[in-house]
Amino acid sequence: MQEDKVGPGAYLALVFAAVFFSGLLGGNEWYGVFDFTTLNGTFGKVVSKVSLDGETLTTATSAFRGTGGNGAMDGFLFALGLIPAVMFALGMINVLEHYGALRAARRLLTPLLRPLLGIPGTTGLAMIGSLQSTDVGASLTRSLSDDGQLTENEKDVFAMFQFSAGAMITNFFSSGAILFTLVAIDGSTAVPTSIGACIGVMFIMKIVGANLMRLVLAITNKKVSR
Amino acid sequence: MSTPQSNPVITDIFVVGARKGWNIATSSTLPNVVMAFIIIKALEITGALKGLGILFSPLMGLFGLPGEAAAVLIGGWMSMGGGIGVAIGLFDKGIITGEHLAILAPAIYLMGSQVQYLGRILGVIGTNAKRIPLMIVISIINAFLAMLLMRIII
Repeated sequence: MQEDKVGPGAYLALVFAAVFFSGLLGGNEWYGVFDFTTLNGTFGKVVSKVSLDGETLTTATSAFRGTGGNGAMDGFLFALGLIPAVMFALGMINVLEHYGALRAARRLLTPLLRPLLGIPGTTGLAMIGSLQSTDVGASLTRSLSDDGQLTENEKDVFAMFQFSAGAMITNFFSSGAILFTLVAIDGSTAVPTSIGACIGVMFIMKIVGANLMRLVLAITNKKVSR
Repeated sequence: MSTPQSNPVITDIFVVGARKGWNIATSSTLPNVVMAFIIIKALEITGALKGLGILFSPLMGLFGLPGEAAAVLIGGWMSMGGGIGVAIGLFDKGIITGEHLAILAPAIYLMGSQVQYLGRILGVIGTNAKRIPLMIVISIINAFLAMLLMRIII
């Protein structure tokens, strides 16, 4: 890929991408228009159960997958729900790439990603995306690799970064954060740490894991070339 | 700033990317997720999931956790949400404490949902199958180091 000029528009596109995929502006306020997850939306809920509770009729609702699904059938419907996100993400990335975001990302992140993970700065957007969505991270990594921008070893190191604590931010906030609402018998908060500390530990370990992969690859490559 | 030769409409650029997304989603994401769900189902109905819990329980003591906490990690390995569910259930029964939850929380995610992510991350990226066991082992090392780190922090 030729080294194009990186102008202010490219940096603006990059800042937009970082904010858009970070979940920073999530929620149904007006600024949600700058958030991927908010614009991606959700499927509506359908009634899954109706029961008579004394005099009142109560209905339970669930996602379009229904309740109690399992196996291949459930997996298919679950996967169906992932398709809009992948299409939306790659559509947006194509637009942002057109405005130079990827070039700006590479310019800014190369000096950091090389020493930290041994991967090129072009992976910056995929890395930002992977913290919020495994599918976005994986699809972007696949297209980078298909475009020949990642070597086989770099791809494995980056895959390792994504595979441990996949979609860390989204997953932790959608289920792990519940732990911090638990209370002990005496009414005090049960978990003696913060969400931020857990996120920090996970991010550090993701980098450690990727470097373990890097180390193993370096050792095995040496053995092969001997 | 780079100005392209012809100025394509922004919506057209979006659609080209979205079409790329559709191709990746239908040829990689969807079949891989279906396979992951089948594996989870098979492990559940054969009781292999329960057996794993018994096998790994002595190890948990090293991290200041009761043996039952292994079920949280194994549950988490299958699905992050499942791991959290098991953790809350054990906390409710008084088998594990708030400190145990703090130690377990980052670990659940570091080795979490990997049965599914084999397809959704590694399958989509196109990772060589012979590297996959190593990646699972590194994730488990990540999780166990995080448990030691959390013991120091709290």
